[in-house]
Amino acid sequence: MSTTNVDPALNSNVVVSSHAEPNHTEHEEDYRMFGFIVFLLSESVIFFSFFVGYIVYKTNATDWLPVGFEGLEVREPFINTVVLVSSSFVIYFAERFLRKENLWGFRLFWLMTMAMGSFFLYGQAVEWMGLPFGFKDGVFGGTFYLLTGFHGLHVLTGVLLQGLMLGRSFWPNNYDGGEFGVEATSLFWHFVDVIWIILFVLIYLWK
Amino acid sequence: MSNATLEPLRPNQPPSNPSPEPGTPENWRTFFSFSTDHKVIGIQYIVTAFIFFLFGGLLAMVMRGELITPESDLVNRTVYNGLFTMHGTIMLFMWTFPMLNGLANYLVPLQIGARDMAFPRLNAAAFWMVPVFGVILITSFFVPGGPSQSGWWAYPPVSLQNPTGNLINGQSLWLLAVALSGVSSIMGAVNIVTTIFRMRAPGMGWFKMPAFCWTVLSAQMIQLIGLPALTAGAVMLLLDLTVGTSFFNPELGGDPVLYQHFFWFYSHPAVYVIILPIFGVFSEVFPVYARKPLFGYKVVAISSLLITGLSLIVWVHHMFASGTPGWMRMLFMITTMTISVPTGIKVFAWVATIWGGKIRLTSGMLFGLGALFAFLFAGITGVMLASAPFDIHVNNTYFVVGHFHYVINGAVVMGFYAAIYHWFPKMTGKMYYEGLGKLHFALTFLGINLIYLPMHPMGLMGMPRRVASYDPEFAFWNVLASLGGFLLGVSTLPFLLNMLSSWTQGKPAGDNPWNAIGIEWLVSSPPPHENFEEIPVVVSPPYGYGSDEPLVSNNPAGKPIAEAMSSSEMEGAIA
Amino acid sequence: MTANDQRTTDLNKVLNRRRIVNLTGLAILNLLISLWMGQQAYNWMPPQASAESVLVDKLFSFMTTVGTFIFLGVIGTLFYSILFQRAAKYDDTDGPPIEGNVKLEVIWTALPILLVIWIGTVSYQTYDQMSILGDIAPKAMETVQTVPLPVEPKKMVATGVEKPAEAAPIEVRSRQWSWEFRYLQQGISSTELHLPVDQRARFKLISEDVLHGFYVPAFRVKQDIVPGKAIDFSLTPIREGRYRLRDSEYSGTYFAANQTNVVVESAEAYEQWLTTVAATEPTAAENVAQAEFNKSQETSARRGWPTIKPAPAPIVNYTSSEKDSHE
Repeated sequence: MSTTNVDPALNSNVVVSSHAEPNHTEHEEDYRMFGFIVFLLSESVIFFSFFVGYIVYKTNATDWLPVGFEGLEVREPFINTVVLVSSSFVIYFAERFLRKENLWGFRLFWLMTMAMGSFFLYGQAVEWMGLPFGFKDGVFGGTFYLLTGFHGLHVLTGVLLQGLMLGRSFWPNNYDGGEFGVEATSLFWHFVDVIWIILFVLIYLWK
Repeated sequence: MSNATLEPLRPNQPPSNPSPEPGTPENWRTFFSFSTDHKVIGIQYIVTAFIFFLFGGLLAMVMRGELITPESDLVNRTVYNGLFTMHGTIMLFMWTFPMLNGLANYLVPLQIGARDMAFPRLNAAAFWMVPVFGVILITSFFVPGGPSQSGWWAYPPVSLQNPTGNLINGQSLWLLAVALSGVSSIMGAVNIVTTIFRMRAPGMGWFKMPAFCWTVLSAQMIQLIGLPALTAGAVMLLLDLTVGTSFFNPELGGDPVLYQHFFWFYSHPAVYVIILPIFGVFSEVFPVYARKPLFGYKVVAISSLLITGLSLIVWVHHMFASGTPGWMRMLFMITTMTISVPTGIKVFAWVATIWGGKIRLTSGMLFGLGALFAFLFAGITGVMLASAPFDIHVNNTYFVVGHFHYVINGAVVMGFYAAIYHWFPKMTGKMYYEGLGKLHFALTFLGINLIYLPMHPMGLMGMPRRVASYDPEFAFWNVLASLGGFLLGVSTLPFLLNMLSSWTQGKPAGDNPWNAIGIEWLVSSPPPHENFEEIPVVVSPPYGYGSDEPLVSNNPAGKPIAEAMSSSEMEGAIA
Repeated sequence: MTANDQRTTDLNKVLNRRRIVNLTGLAILNLLISLWMGQQAYNWMPPQASAESVLVDKLFSFMTTVGTFIFLGVIGTLFYSILFQRAAKYDDTDGPPIEGNVKLEVIWTALPILLVIWIGTVSYQTYDQMSILGDIAPKAMETVQTVPLPVEPKKMVATGVEKPAEAAPIEVRSRQWSWEFRYLQQGISSTELHLPVDQRARFKLISEDVLHGFYVPAFRVKQDIVPGKAIDFSLTPIREGRYRLRDSEYSGTYFAANQTNVVVESAEAYEQWLTTVAATEPTAAENVAQAEFNKSQETSARRGWPTIKPAPAPIVNYTSSEKDSHE
């Protein structure tokens, strides 16, 4: 049988993939979003585990609330909830602006999201400081601060990521290759929101 | 023509090749670097893991030395407790999981026809975490108070007792190491799942993908779902230990049994994470050395997913004696017994694959058969353990220890050896010494049975596990087991000798020494950077032994199609 | 068809028949060996000292029989292949391209399902008969009335003995690292558990520190003891003798030494023991953990890592001794 004509360029062991599949970047974008979604699904299981723990503790406890404590204040956390949930819509609009390549529209709404997220964090801190019980006060104290704290950590991470994306938006031609960073940050933000809704219902509404 | 030989198209390399192929001895420095090549990372994982395997085995040798006599006379009880804790922890988190990640890393991209994993840098980062948390675990031996002594389960309240009162103690270091291990595993799982879902070669539909990739996918999906639950439990335990919260501390209103639920919700599925890739190895190895297709390939593939699903609803069988209510015991008894069905399907499929074939008893095949033997035995004792009334008698005795070691040291380790002997030529380009391989098998198989079979009567007679001392009536079985243990220790020597000498001085192996069908066998040994000149285009399902269908329709290694097909015949007979 | 075809078909029939006969013969041989193994299984267990043990051993024997049958069947097939179906030395060719067989696959899916149902049912029935109680009392351990009295087992298998008048449960106190049994009704305590034969023994399991496990291999029952809860537990001893009681849930440094004995004796001997013990002054019990710990403190050499200090040896009317032999 005949041999192939050996292309001298192929003799080197560094295979240049310029001849490889088209839409190389598109594939990568797709991989990254797929991977990020997989990661978020896995991350949600941590929260679900904490939720299950909370439910088990609460349903089995004889003395649930710390001595002298009547119950959690719902009004301010509810305001925080409204702000956080609304920010999901705001970030959605920001994304829409970016897709239409309206950078300043994007940046405005993105900044608004950051502000609303920060407001939430501030509100959470204020609530914490006003509470008469601590992390070590029984199972209630432990689970309350664990859940809200772990969630707050995610909100903080979200705000920081948004800051990063905002900074990057000033880089020239940053979004010509796709907006994975923005999309991922936005998805993360929605995730944080959904977790909060469940958390709010469990901790503040369920008596 | 003279070029149409074992390694066509691989030009002679000058010694100072700027980018030599992974696996060749000349570029050993690559293995200590932050390489993003999945083949390098795979070998890094495997070698690192094996070093920890030897260390964990050393701890076991000391334990068997203690247990050869009834009294606690070799080491102090606290030392023994630290030994069994760290033995289990190291074997699971430093050996088994990293090793399996190594095999998956090496093989999956090649088998699906991809150039690398979806996220090569994430891949490297995940690997480099392994030595980090390994060092943390080893460090725990040297802090005041010594390493964790609460068993690899770390059940509270014992794990919260902290005799020294220090913040940095063996238990907190243990928890830190395990948490980091979880992060590394999640990173790996995201990578592998994305790769398998998104990067299969053109033409490779789900039912053209090798069974090994199916099992790896199933295993990694379990990791993604189960590990976060362990993380949650570990975080709560760490907070109890360091900060003084009361999640699991009964004195402060906590519930120690809730920890067990968190722990086992992951740790049971974890054992399927461990065994599934080994099932995949069986499915790859048996067809090659029987020269027959994998029997019932599609069903075998689907059963991996069934096992994934079922594995998530059986965990309470570890808690039959913990105070679980009767309905819970019965429910989980049923679910646990059910998981033997998809598992049994696989076992019968392997037997049917081998039956009527043309069997070659190479080292890889011998280890595969030995592993299957061990797994069958363990599977049967496993169904026994699923039966709650029986389990209540043998729970926390050596019966359980015998059962799971038959799986983990019998099936998994022998399956690992099968994989290594099978793919060693591909990874290194060299052939190993068959005689040493057979010796290794004989010693290992004998050692496994000698150490773990006696554990069953021990447990039936009521010897608890995790004991530094025992009543004299158990002495006879313990002596046998200890002898088996020492034999196992010795059995690693021919393996180490074989690996080291073959890698450096073995005969060149060629692309396909086993005449096997699979994309990895179409490229050179070791494979070149980025694996393929051309991404393969798959046209047939795997394991096409006995038929004339080509696997791919192009030349992934850049050879002409005819030559690609016939090169397998040119490799000559297997020894 | 041609004469050749006819001969082939005849030959196939013969071979099929011979094959079926062979397989049936092997299956019968397998069954006999498995049944024998099932009988041997009884020898691997401790003496049957409780009603529960009779049930558990029967279950185990049954599972051993089934397990042996499957094991020998599969291994036998594999061994046959390994011995008689090897490739000829220079034969590089492939085997037959058999990818599956639907009938076979259906059989080996259906049969295991049936087997699982069978074993599960037998196990369920055994459990039902044992009526193992693991009811957990609410957190308040101090209250005497915790859960309703346990439901009577449906069938007393071994002896058909009726339960006598309600005896108060024996309070079992487990610690790091000792066992104490308090007979509240008689106001005595002991580190050796005494039980009258053929009477339902009821316990309240309490831990004063960490998880422990109440395990008597001769009785085939075990129950983890969870701190913060008082667990109701019961069993029926049917054979006189002295048996080992071991801590089965890892509880720290001297876990392996946290053992004691259970003495099952006739009703008269039991009453006698109670009376004698009630007249004995309480003293500190013999305690292996305490003794080892004290010894380790005396030697100046550091032999191990720091440990939790053992709880003081229980002050009891009657102490067990490690020197006593057990079955």
